[in-house]
Amino acid sequence: MAIHERSLVEPERILRKERLVVEGIDVSGDWNLIILPRVINDYDLDFAKEIVNSPDGKTINQCYQCSYCTASCPVHNYWDERYNPRHFIYLARLGMIDELQKRADVMWRCVSCHKCTHRCPKGVLVEEVLKVILRTMAKKGLIEEYPSKKFDKFFTEQVLEYGRIEDGELLFGWIEKQGYKVVKDPILKKPIPFIGETPEWLKQLTLKPIKSMNIGFLMLNAKHMLFHPRTKNWNKFKQVLRKVMEEEGALAH
Amino acid sequence: MGVIGKRVAYYPGCSLEGASRAYDVSTRIVAKELGLELDYLEDYNCCGAMESKNVTFMGTMLLNARNMSLARKQGHDVIVAPCNGCSFSLQRAEYFLETDRNVFERVNALLREGGVDQLDKIPHTYHILEWFYHEAGPQKVKEKTKRPLRGLKVANYYGCLYTRPHFYARTYAHAGGQEEEVRPRKRDTADDDEHPYYMNALLEAAGATSVEFEPMHTQCCGGPHSLSDEQVSEKFVMMILQTAKRNGADIIATECPLCHASVEMYRHRLMMKGVPDVDVPAAYFTQLLGLAFGYSANDVKLKDNLSDPLPVLKRLGLA
Repeated sequence: MAIHERSLVEPERILRKERLVVEGIDVSGDWNLIILPRVINDYDLDFAKEIVNSPDGKTINQCYQCSYCTASCPVHNYWDERYNPRHFIYLARLGMIDELQKRADVMWRCVSCHKCTHRCPKGVLVEEVLKVILRTMAKKGLIEEYPSKKFDKFFTEQVLEYGRIEDGELLFGWIEKQGYKVVKDPILKKPIPFIGETPEWLKQLTLKPIKSMNIGFLMLNAKHMLFHPRTKNWNKFKQVLRKVMEEEGALAH
Repeated sequence: MGVIGKRVAYYPGCSLEGASRAYDVSTRIVAKELGLELDYLEDYNCCGAMESKNVTFMGTMLLNARNMSLARKQGHDVIVAPCNGCSFSLQRAEYFLETDRNVFERVNALLREGGVDQLDKIPHTYHILEWFYHEAGPQKVKEKTKRPLRGLKVANYYGCLYTRPHFYARTYAHAGGQEEEVRPRKRDTADDDEHPYYMNALLEAAGATSVEFEPMHTQCCGGPHSLSDEQVSEKFVMMILQTAKRNGADIIATECPLCHASVEMYRHRLMMKGVPDVDVPAAYFTQLLGLAFGYSANDVKLKDNLSDPLPVLKRLGLA
């Protein structure tokens, strides 16, 4: 017998027998596959409330579990079938935190392509809701630091500081965070490309404009790396942004 | 035709002023040729892209509201963004500001506190592709084409956020869910939500041939995670490139700097690993249109593309 969404059942709870005799009747062939029952008694009923209270998470209660989101999700289909938006919404609404925690290693892999939101017949903003679930879990310390969150923070810090981002600094800064030794100049503290450790692919890729003597492109990006492009009249706005983010608890971690 | 307007506020976004200079330059060229006017949004800030919204909700609303306020100050009702991420972020802010009264009032109060004009009206955001299609259209492209892209087989890659989700991009006639009156309906200018065709139409009008590319034309490239989750992004880009190559494409036409960067970066890495059928170069659709309008490869900055489409275009006598 087929088990739909097999990824939701732990392997140790699936029992398969070659021969099975129940009360003297041989049922092997039809009923030789059994899922052992589980007992759950720790629902956190306040978890869903917190999600409903945020403006981008309030559509969670419209979900009627049709699984259209999961069926269209590329991460579910092409990467890991344990990534299952429908199931995450289900767990969050019941407040089954430990089950959510078990899936923490795939939950952050959402690529924000919004296929789920687009196709939902009930108008749930699925992607937003999932991100609110992750955000809430992170705020409560239920989930460890994961790469995409680190990157999101790193990105947001740059926006907060300058008003704009710069590709080179984002790239080299992130590489540094991954453990490569990036050499920085002593005065401006900006990373210097090609000196220090850089992944081989990046070296080759950045060599291309140099090889083709694309001077204008190189000058432009070098200028941006030295003098980070910034928004004028940013200081006052920055304080307001910082205040808002502090209220949301986004700066605390 | 004529819904969006010939003169609009142009929100380039950070990457178009740096690593994606080619897109900015070629966009301006195409707009000029098609008789459209871009009014550069002075002193804009980052839209928060796909990253900031995972950290803070109100902060992202504020970032986008500031840009909207700047557009209003310059006297525009319409913002046009060439990047999927930017247009998504602005449309997302538009959605929440329009449907949630509390968010709107809070944002306005915070804008005043931050020394920016309040929003008297929420400007609508369109992707630049929609704008080109609706204000100029394939007919105009055909008229302006001096050097048809004859023989060029293009895989038109739209990326994920161009038509999605329909709540923000308003690409879907049915509102979905309850409270239909608060959900924005499909707008007249919107592309088909599951089978977008605007880029196909424009490039075909310029003489190119589109190859079969569904369903990869709206498959995500893993862009938001292209640096932080390399395994997933690599797999997605591999699927996109192999589909394009196996359907006979010479080149992938992109319309988003993030997709473009992601495709170029992972194309290089996949080629280093020796994965077969991934050597399709990428170019912005505006670059290809610029070439068709008679501009040189240097004018549309084809050298900036790290995946190097020049040899392919030269072989076909287009550059």
